[in-house]
Amino acid sequence: MIRNLAFLIALLLAVPAAAHQQKITLSTVSHNPRTDMLEIVHRIILHDAEHALKALGKDAPDIVNDLESRRAFARYVAKRFTVKREGEPVVLTLLGTEIDGGNLVVYQEAPSPGPGVELLVNSQILMDIWFKQENRVNLGAGTEVETLVFADSGQAQYARLP
Amino acid sequence: MRLIAFVFAMLLALPAHAQGIQQTKGSFEDKFRQLDEVLRSPNVYRNASGAPGHQYWQQQADYRITASLDEDARRLTAKATITYKNNSPDTLPWIWMQLDQNIFKKDSMSELTNTFGGPGRRGPAVSAGSGGEPSKLSLEELRRQQAMEDNSYGYDIARVSLTNGRELSHTIVGTLMRIDLPTPLRPGQSVSFNIDWAFNIVEENVIYARSGYEHFPDDPREGGNDIFLFAQWFPRLVAYSDYEGWHNKEFLGRGEFTLEFGDYDVTMTVPNDHIVSSTGVLQNPNSVLTATQRQRLSQARNADAPMFIVTPEEAEANEASNPTGTKTWRYTANKVRDFAWATSRKFAWDAQGHKQPGAENETVMAMSFYPKEGGELWSKYSTAAVVHTMKVYSRFSFDYPYPTAQSVNGPVGGMEYPMITFNGPRTNLNDDGSRTYSESEKVFLIGVVIHEIGHIYFPMTVNSDERQWTWMDEGINSFLDSVAGYEWDPDMPWGRSLPRDLIPYMVSNNQVPIMTQSDSVLNLGPNAYGKPSAAYHILRDTVIGRERFDFALREYARRWKFKRPTPEDFFRTIEEASGTDLDWFWRGWFYTTDHVDISLDSIYKLRLDTKNPDIDLARRREELASEPEKVGVRLNREQNLPIWVLENPGVTDFYDENDRFTVTPKDTKSYESFLESLDDWERRVFDRAIEEDKNYYVLSFSNKGGLVMPIILDLTFADGTSERMTIPAEIWRRNARNVSKLMVFDKGKELASVLVDPNWETADADIGNNYYPRKIMDSRIETFKRSAPSSRTGRDLMAEVLVKDEDETESEGEMQSEGSE
Repeated sequence: MIRNLAFLIALLLAVPAAAHQQKITLSTVSHNPRTDMLEIVHRIILHDAEHALKALGKDAPDIVNDLESRRAFARYVAKRFTVKREGEPVVLTLLGTEIDGGNLVVYQEAPSPGPGVELLVNSQILMDIWFKQENRVNLGAGTEVETLVFADSGQAQYARLP
Repeated sequence: MRLIAFVFAMLLALPAHAQGIQQTKGSFEDKFRQLDEVLRSPNVYRNASGAPGHQYWQQQADYRITASLDEDARRLTAKATITYKNNSPDTLPWIWMQLDQNIFKKDSMSELTNTFGGPGRRGPAVSAGSGGEPSKLSLEELRRQQAMEDNSYGYDIARVSLTNGRELSHTIVGTLMRIDLPTPLRPGQSVSFNIDWAFNIVEENVIYARSGYEHFPDDPREGGNDIFLFAQWFPRLVAYSDYEGWHNKEFLGRGEFTLEFGDYDVTMTVPNDHIVSSTGVLQNPNSVLTATQRQRLSQARNADAPMFIVTPEEAEANEASNPTGTKTWRYTANKVRDFAWATSRKFAWDAQGHKQPGAENETVMAMSFYPKEGGELWSKYSTAAVVHTMKVYSRFSFDYPYPTAQSVNGPVGGMEYPMITFNGPRTNLNDDGSRTYSESEKVFLIGVVIHEIGHIYFPMTVNSDERQWTWMDEGINSFLDSVAGYEWDPDMPWGRSLPRDLIPYMVSNNQVPIMTQSDSVLNLGPNAYGKPSAAYHILRDTVIGRERFDFALREYARRWKFKRPTPEDFFRTIEEASGTDLDWFWRGWFYTTDHVDISLDSIYKLRLDTKNPDIDLARRREELASEPEKVGVRLNREQNLPIWVLENPGVTDFYDENDRFTVTPKDTKSYESFLESLDDWERRVFDRAIEEDKNYYVLSFSNKGGLVMPIILDLTFADGTSERMTIPAEIWRRNARNVSKLMVFDKGKELASVLVDPNWETADADIGNNYYPRKIMDSRIETFKRSAPSSRTGRDLMAEVLVKDEDETESEGEMQSEGSE
């Protein structure tokens, strides 16, 4: 038997294909034992971020030189990246941004639920804008990490915070 | 640092255990095991030092093509005469062709195997539902499906025949076609045959391809204009090699191309107001260019800066008018592995001659073709970046091997072909009609032009197999594009290919090794571009050294110029030309998903015993005195508990006068007999060591990431001086997990602290365990929070801004889709 399931049209934004867009973001979610904070660092390729902003309706975005462009993109990242614990969203404070080489780095934090806690993470950054986006989220810092890979599925994934 | 007495001990060397396949005795991992078992055996075609063997051969495929563009129908019709020369020692009963356009047929393997919501899909986004989440399909996906439904894509092969007109039977298998020969093609023989074909051109932004047309509906001309990019547009010979025979690997979209070299003579008939950019050299300028354009072109050959052949104003006039007929352009190209071209009435065209004294092509025409949408970004930087690329890359390989090098703006973000590249970055159109671009768009343009022109060296000339191994050309090219980028402007925000850029990717799990077939790689960017590039930076700056690495890379490029190297040939050449055993490096970086994390776990300070009881026992006494008082004894004292000996001062003996470190005649005698027992040479060595009284330290390291690497140490001494020391990776050869190293410094040179990998050159993932004594490391966020005020390219603290902005933050609904301008 074939079940009927809901099917939605996702309004993706029209972005010209650019073969050398990297279409990968790397985020790190880690517990800082000294501050008891949950620290989140996102790395997004600069021109990916800029093309995304353009698709989001920002005229002539300039991530490097225009703080408004940068803040708009940081707020977009904050909307597309969620962490839940026991069904409740962990409220993340957006700390700011930094340019690091070819990357825009976006920082977020929240009081840490502590190591060992299971978190439901979803990184949907840029996935509403173009195809083929693949987001990696490393839980933990340093050498031993747990990695979640998000690739167009829209699904949140569980992992234990090391 | 703890102080421990030590004596020299004689150790018997234990035989090292060989490791074949997985062992059950112990946990020895042979990270230095030679790769011979993994690499293909050398033979007469490819020798053991990585050079072409004495019987190296490759096939040759020459093409004479006439093509005609129907602009309104967006259809290309063409005929080719292909001459295939069999240089192999094998007799070939058939020939295989690549029909890449067939990837766009509705029943292609690529279409049928696209997974719904899966990773690595080429095409618009879809998402599989789960739990309460409904499945999603984007409008782009629907548009693509509708375009596939409404149009018939892929090759229409009208005829395959010998040049005498005799039909040849042929079988199409997906993106491949077998042509059966009437008589088998023997070694050294050639066969010529004709193919007639046509295909409907895909809209690049709808179908997602490496070529196609882009439509500009808002252009002043009624109906708008198109830019046409032609690549994978003719049936191409499948490569036949000594190691794989026919390369029958279906085109799935991501693994690029494996091709044969040949000579091309191509004519293309297009509307007479178009400008054509193409692989090769224009053969009939008199019939397609105006006298002014020809005069400008010859002036540009000796120009110091790019000059216009077609000015932006002329291009704007062109794009507003209509053609009055057609023109036929003729291009020829020798010794190329592919042929691509572009045509549009929108193109402005600039050019500059790049001089290579003594080279086969002493003047290379660097040229760019772009519409008004490219604007100043292109007129300032495209051709300039083409010239810069040739200057840098030629130093690392060979003179640029062709007469032209072109950069064309169109709908493809970045793609390379011989002598011609397609590059995407553009300006923004502002409300007032002006055009501007951001700094990162500028970096993107210069970066992508360098990268794509760089591909004309690798793999267009050093003809590696892209279908199997994306990393072979992308790795070297990403490495060299970063070298060229830093030589353009070291302060521009380049990214992604230095060792430190790759750490978050390299520590993540769910990875595949670099040595993975192109279509199966997850995260192609960091895997096939970034990680090999980081590896080459480490080889160049840390493991081998600049001079020998550059020599080895140049040797690889020269050996395999116009030939087809395999990964084995690359690994072997770099090893033997640099004189460095790198099997451990290839194994770790290319065959595993290990990362780098070397931890400095402890440092012990050691001092040589003199054996002289007068000295040694006094030292022992000092050591005891420096130990903290026993807690119980202190508490007793504080409680004023009576102590027997203090209460009975009259009762004493020898032991009360002399502690246990008092030198006895027996001690002295024993020392004298020790000295007497030494041979002359032993006595000399011993006396000198005692005299020098050096500082001995044992540093213990553990390898937490798995990848064996050199250990680079910054040693800081108590006197404030410091010293850099590099221990080769071979220190890990007997134990890849834990090693200790004895270091000896002169008396007075006391070690105060040590730092591993001080310059962040090895991609070490955890800086915290590089410090000894340990240092409390700020997390990135702690460092960020302590930052200086916002600066242009620096940090921007938003937290306080956000509170203020909360209410005015745009809602998702207000962020409108804008189209692709």
